Amino acid sequence: MAIHKIFFASLLICLLFQISHGATKERLFSDLEKGALEVTATPSREGVLDAGIDKLSITWKLSSTATKEAEFTTIKVKLCYAPVSQVDRPWRKTENELFKDKSCPHKIITRPYDKSPQSFEYTLERDIPTGTYFVRAYAVDAKGHEVAFGQSTDEAKSTKLFSVQAISGRHKSLDIASVCFSVFSVLALLVFFVNEKRKAKIEQSK
Amino acid sequence: MAPNGDGSIGSSLHGVTAREQVFSFSVEDGPSSQAIRSDDPTAMFPIPVDSEHRAKVFKPLSFAKPHMRAFHLGWISFFTCFISTFAAAPLVPVIRDNLDLTKTDIGNAGVASVSGAIFSRLAMGAVCDLLGARYGTAFSLLLSAPAVFSMSFVSDAGSYLAVRFMIGFCLATFVSCQYWTSVMFTGKIIGLVNGCAGGWGDMGGGVTQLLMPMVYHVIKLAGATPFTAWRFAFFIPGFLQIIMGILVLTLGQDLPDGNLSTLQKSGQVSKDKFSKVFWFAVKNYRTWILFVLYGFSMGVELTINNVISGYFYDRFHLTLHTAGIIAASFGMANFFARPFGGYASDVAARLFGMRGRLWTLWILQTVGALFCIWLGRASSLPIAILAMMLFSIGTQAACGALFGVAPFVSRRSLGLISGLTGAGGNFGSGVTQLLFFSSSRFSTAEGLSLMGVMAVVCTLPVAFIHFPQWGSMFLRPSQHEERSKEEHYYGGEWTEEEKSLGLHEGSIKFAENSRSERGRKAMLADIPTPETGTPAHV
Repeated sequence: MAIHKIFFASLLICLLFQISHGATKERLFSDLEKGALEVTATPSREGVLDAGIDKLSITWKLSSTATKEAEFTTIKVKLCYAPVSQVDRPWRKTENELFKDKSCPHKIITRPYDKSPQSFEYTLERDIPTGTYFVRAYAVDAKGHEVAFGQSTDEAKSTKLFSVQAISGRHKSLDIASVCFSVFSVLALLVFFVNEKRKAKIEQSK
Repeated sequence: MAPNGDGSIGSSLHGVTAREQVFSFSVEDGPSSQAIRSDDPTAMFPIPVDSEHRAKVFKPLSFAKPHMRAFHLGWISFFTCFISTFAAAPLVPVIRDNLDLTKTDIGNAGVASVSGAIFSRLAMGAVCDLLGARYGTAFSLLLSAPAVFSMSFVSDAGSYLAVRFMIGFCLATFVSCQYWTSVMFTGKIIGLVNGCAGGWGDMGGGVTQLLMPMVYHVIKLAGATPFTAWRFAFFIPGFLQIIMGILVLTLGQDLPDGNLSTLQKSGQVSKDKFSKVFWFAVKNYRTWILFVLYGFSMGVELTINNVISGYFYDRFHLTLHTAGIIAASFGMANFFARPFGGYASDVAARLFGMRGRLWTLWILQTVGALFCIWLGRASSLPIAILAMMLFSIGTQAACGALFGVAPFVSRRSLGLISGLTGAGGNFGSGVTQLLFFSSSRFSTAEGLSLMGVMAVVCTLPVAFIHFPQWGSMFLRPSQHEERSKEEHYYGGEWTEEEKSLGLHEGSIKFAENSRSERGRKAMLADIPTPETGTPAHV
């Protein structure tokens, strides 16, 4: 019976968590002020960029059309997926509810808000997947809630996009170790098999 | 002919001098009767055995050879293979970024991971019948280890799918494990033993959801980038397979009396023809009903191993870590759920005979499927977890109960029937993943409920399994004089010519021992051994 009590108690606690979490989670992307920051992202070279090697030159400054500037405390700059990299990949889906939105998972830099134009030289991390991207900067208030944003592409997310090629993750040493152990495995089996057949033959001939 | 040292492989003195009785009497319970027969070969075993030298008791904490050792080697090998086959599932969020996979790619790889075993489980049945359970297990472990290591070469969706397909071949250890326990343990406890071996092995699917992320994390801490760390993480299941393969070959023994090749060469176990073994397995309609049934108990379980972590992650917005823990709980329930199913089957058999086993199977599988429907419809996390746990217990217990029935379907083709049934499990998983989880036609939640409905429908055929000597769910055993005897059923797998050569003696012994499936009422009536049974003592 004690087990049952513990079980139901934990279920109740989970339920309460659900309810309490739900109350703060309805902040929407559509409520944010669009184009409050002017963001540019310039690749270090033409063509497809290599993760871990190539750089992005990112700049952001306050746009003349911004209205909520008084609330800006921090600027969070993120790398976001372009629509073409979201096709048939529901784990990168764009959602209106901010806590559900998975389209901007890669953090570039977070800086306190400064009135003057800012810039940052970002080297593409080695865990960035292959895909097409743009850069978005969120302006966050003192409570940690996003209030406005700006991005390096247009609203339809179709211009000034750049492509990244991920690292393969393969290593020569890994490949060699893999082959060695595989060969050992098959050899071990063959050795045992042949050995036992030989022993059984000797038994029979006795 | 000088005898070898005691205890080494092939050194059993059973039948060597040709003056001993080849088939000894059934050993009575109690030490006094054993002490009297000092020349009785069954007294050589550390635990009580029946006339086929199969163990009559199950001692999970013992490693005594040959019975308990075979049990432990069998289930741990199977456990290792489950870890390897589903090792990719918890790492998919990293792999899909490294290889630029789409949902379709991931779904197809999931189908591939269970499809390879359809063929390998079929082949394994034959390998066990012909080469013995030890080599069956070792082949599976040592020949698929290269596939596990080759994850380090994978660079796109195609190679990922191919490697998962090849790793999936090792699920054939299920068949060799069940075969090994079926020849080592007697019919009365076979439900429990098979349930424990199968259940503890299946736990690997749950353990891997915790093990692989942990290994990945440790490798990352050691300095590797994510896209290299996941590849290296696969070396762990690979090592485990090699270690287990070597242990099985050095410590294991095919049969209670020795290894198959030695026994065959000394003439104690006759080599059977593959074509006959195959024919009798395929001809028996019960094999195919079990094929379908297992497809919707184990098949559902395999599918869930592939999709459940992602389902909780996406639908309830949990972290990868939390989703992994929930996914692991599904697999870990196997620890007690599957043995419970086997035990329930054995208890039902004690009271109602084979009919009890069939009813137990139907009830457990249907209840599990109903909870699966509920899981798909649950929209709050606590209800979903509750539904998932009840679903896991029902379905996994059904798997255990099914392998309380399978050893009785045939004696001659035991290996192949285990193989075919096992293949059915993988086939069912491939079908359900393809129908419900590989496209955007259904959401994952809808897919779960539809899979539950399909499972309820496909469990109904169990009502058609009928044994003339024991009955079926709705029909009583045959009253016909000949057909109501177990010897007739098992003897029917041999031609008259083969019977005249005495090749069927093993089946007759099995028939005697299987009289326990008549249930309590029939056991109370004293039934003498028929004339065609055990030969008179010399």
